Amino acid sequence: MTDPYRLLGVPESADDDTIRAAYLAALRACPPERDPQRFEQVRAAFEAIATAPQRMAHRLFDTSAPTVQELLEILSAEWRDQPAPQPGRPTEASLYRLLGRHD
Amino acid sequence: MSHHMSHKKKTKPTSVVPGGSAPATLEGTAQAALAASRFKDAIEQFKELLKRERRSAWLAGLAAAYAGRAEQLASKDMVKEALALWRTRADACNVPLLSGPYVAWLLKSGQIEQALGLLATVDKLPPEAQALAQAQLAAAALVAPDALLAGLPAGNPLLLHRAAARAALAACTKGELAASAKGDETALAQALQTISFRSPYRDLRPLLKALALLASDPQGAAATLARVPENGPFEPLAKALRVGLLPGIEWLSGLLALDEPGRALVLDLKGCPPSQRLLVLDLAARTGVTATSATSPLELFDLVLRHRKAMAGGLAQQIGLRLLPHVPQRLDAFRTSLVPLAPAEQERLLALAAELKQQDEQAETHWLRFVKLSGATLAGRQQAALVLRRLADSHSQHGFDGKLCSHALAWLEQSLDFDPADRGTHLRLVRDARCHLDLKQARTWLDAARQRFPDDMPLLLEAVEIALAAGAFKKAAGLAKQVLQVDPINPRVRTLIGQAHLSHARKQIAANNPQAALRELDEAANWLRNAADRSLLTLLRGLATESGVAGDSLLRDAMAELGAPLVGAFHLLLEGQRSKRPPQDLLRRAGVDLTAAPSTADVVALAQALNALPERDGAARSAIKVLRKPLESAVSALQFSEGDQLLLCEALHRQGQTELTLRVAAAALRRWPQRPVFLYLEAAARYGANPWAMPQHDWQRLDTLYDQAKAQGDQRTAARLSQLLGAAGHGQPGDDFDPDEDEFGADDVRTMMEMMLTAGGEDAFLDMARQQLGKASFDQLRREIKGSKQQFARALLDLVAPTGPEPSGPARRPPFPKVTAPKPPARPPSPRSPLAPNQTDLFDD
Repeated sequence: MTDPYRLLGVPESADDDTIRAAYLAALRACPPERDPQRFEQVRAAFEAIATAPQRMAHRLFDTSAPTVQELLEILSAEWRDQPAPQPGRPTEASLYRLLGRHD
Repeated sequence: MSHHMSHKKKTKPTSVVPGGSAPATLEGTAQAALAASRFKDAIEQFKELLKRERRSAWLAGLAAAYAGRAEQLASKDMVKEALALWRTRADACNVPLLSGPYVAWLLKSGQIEQALGLLATVDKLPPEAQALAQAQLAAAALVAPDALLAGLPAGNPLLLHRAAARAALAACTKGELAASAKGDETALAQALQTISFRSPYRDLRPLLKALALLASDPQGAAATLARVPENGPFEPLAKALRVGLLPGIEWLSGLLALDEPGRALVLDLKGCPPSQRLLVLDLAARTGVTATSATSPLELFDLVLRHRKAMAGGLAQQIGLRLLPHVPQRLDAFRTSLVPLAPAEQERLLALAAELKQQDEQAETHWLRFVKLSGATLAGRQQAALVLRRLADSHSQHGFDGKLCSHALAWLEQSLDFDPADRGTHLRLVRDARCHLDLKQARTWLDAARQRFPDDMPLLLEAVEIALAAGAFKKAAGLAKQVLQVDPINPRVRTLIGQAHLSHARKQIAANNPQAALRELDEAANWLRNAADRSLLTLLRGLATESGVAGDSLLRDAMAELGAPLVGAFHLLLEGQRSKRPPQDLLRRAGVDLTAAPSTADVVALAQALNALPERDGAARSAIKVLRKPLESAVSALQFSEGDQLLLCEALHRQGQTELTLRVAAAALRRWPQRPVFLYLEAAARYGANPWAMPQHDWQRLDTLYDQAKAQGDQRTAARLSQLLGAAGHGQPGDDFDPDEDEFGADDVRTMMEMMLTAGGEDAFLDMARQQLGKASFDQLRREIKGSKQQFARALLDLVAPTGPEPSGPARRPPFPKVTAPKPPARPPSPRSPLAPNQTDLFDD
């Protein structure tokens, strides 16, 4: 299973109410009739961490191995969360280099 | 590389150009090679054709073949070779050099000056081709240093529009524009508008607009980009933007199709910090689109470790920790390179790793170490309790009778030391003891639980159940009324109260206290509402009533309500047994005529009544004894549906009615021959009490039946057959036993198993035993054979490979060593007494 905290967009320190609110928001954004697969993922994520004992059980017993895709998603999400103005905006030099300048 | 190419030319087979072929044939072959992208063959064949005659169609064919081959080379980063081939193409085919991707390749290989040198040839082109040629050179003019353009005439469009294009590009790359401030957007729009439609840089305009929109409005950027023709002068920028706009993380796969500057631009646009670029490219190379197979946890772990410094905020530790159960061999590497692990955390990871390898014994060892370490700290006590509860769960899942084993009980009890507020565990312990009639223990658990949860409803209900089981009916009714104060409409409690009064009434009837019994029945009538309960009330009133005539009348009413003759008589006899009344007298008083022929509905209702009672109920056995004759004649005379026949057969078998079960099963098999479930029930009735007496031929017949049941998808019958065959001890179903194959005697097997135990240790030995025996059987044995793991392993050894002379009777096989005669299986004997093959209660459905 994909990391349920990341799937619901909550930190690992989130409490029951925060997780429930995130779950409901995720359901509104992705109702089952529109994307059943995504809905199932969201539901499974919520059920894994909805309560404090479930969160503890998840922390202790979860054996799902992260995938390359998941790691890439984590990284790209971190970039998105960077405050504006985005520091990675292309420079003039990089554009010229792309178009053929070899300095 | 050139050496490589020339070598290829030398070894090229000459057959691609058939000598002396007719031109029409050779042309067809050349066109086919061209269509199939076999450009090298096509070049040779068109050349051969052109030697014979210089036709324009063949020249065009040769030009296309050269172009195709040059593209192939460029796609392999052999840009210089592609350029050389393009020049050859221009010379050999008389086509302009300034066409297609030539300028782009020149720029890619850093030959800006050479590209600009082509400007001199533009004027020689036809007027309609000049604008196109200038557009192609636009990228070169844009990136060229000013000095290289000094020789151009002042009116050259490339020079005239260059400043506006460069200004627009600069405006687009200013960081503050990304903040989408309105003023900045306006400035960008103005800068882009200065690139006119007649400008050779006109394709740059939508590209820069898409670039500016990419972060804030990807859909708008995609729509703008869609208007840019492919393979234009600024194709590298267009290509990078298309990748940047791919949805989700697809752009990561697209990165691999770009050259280094293209990748850098996309990563710039995505906000990827320079420190993570190598990591991202390494990961992108492993995404599903390009990788031939999924990346293994080990590969991913090593990758994370390599790039750990690029992963901020403890991400490397977080990912590494999740991977460690899959790669426990990297524990040291994790500790050395990332972060030290607390001892408890290490035990947790090792336990999970063992679970993933299905090494349950090792997993248990690590979990118990985790509990010891974690439970010693205040913060870890809840975790320790949770682990203990999970261990208890895993030991109870496949229990023989659902009862918690001694280990599970101990773990649950210990978990309460760590987490005394876990109501579920309290309740589980109470229920387990109550369901297995250990009422003293149940009360102990209950008292402890109610001290902590005095008004808890499920615990109060358990208190009621315990009082009922102990025969303390008054207490049960009182407790149940307490529950009703909290939950006035709880139907289960209402029934429980009614049943408590009924049971108390029976007690009073048996003690010849009719007045007290009638009072209890009146009380019960307030709580019991369904028809069957009301009929039972009438019946008990009949038994309690002192007046003979009135009592008899009530008994006859009850018989009429319950159904005659079988099911009514059954209830009458059952209650008579409980209240110590002679059966024949009761039957006479109630006017039951057992000679009357029962209906199928009557027999089916009797089967249902039998199933409502506990297994092998003593009172039921006595009642059936009286009803035996009418039941036998009903079985012979009546035609039941297959479902009803099965219901009756199962009910009788459940109550230990061997002869009746055999009779019903035989009747069923006459109508539905070879039906596995009836064959099983027949065999279970015959051998269930003493499976060791099963002859070899019957065992083999049932072994075949086991395969049939499995093939027919009848898993329940297959499982029951497996249990019966295992108890019979000839081997495991499905094994083809050939005594001649057994090259090992008991002593050899024991020696070998001793070696396995010594070499691999107890954990490995027990894991192997668990795999071979199956979890259910293994757990049963574990429950029965107390002691340490070492003692358990030794006991298993003694069980499957005893020392001394081999026992007589059915050949027993070592259950788990894989030797040249890998036989098994002897199924494990009953967990209740694994070493006592002659016991009578081995079979129990």
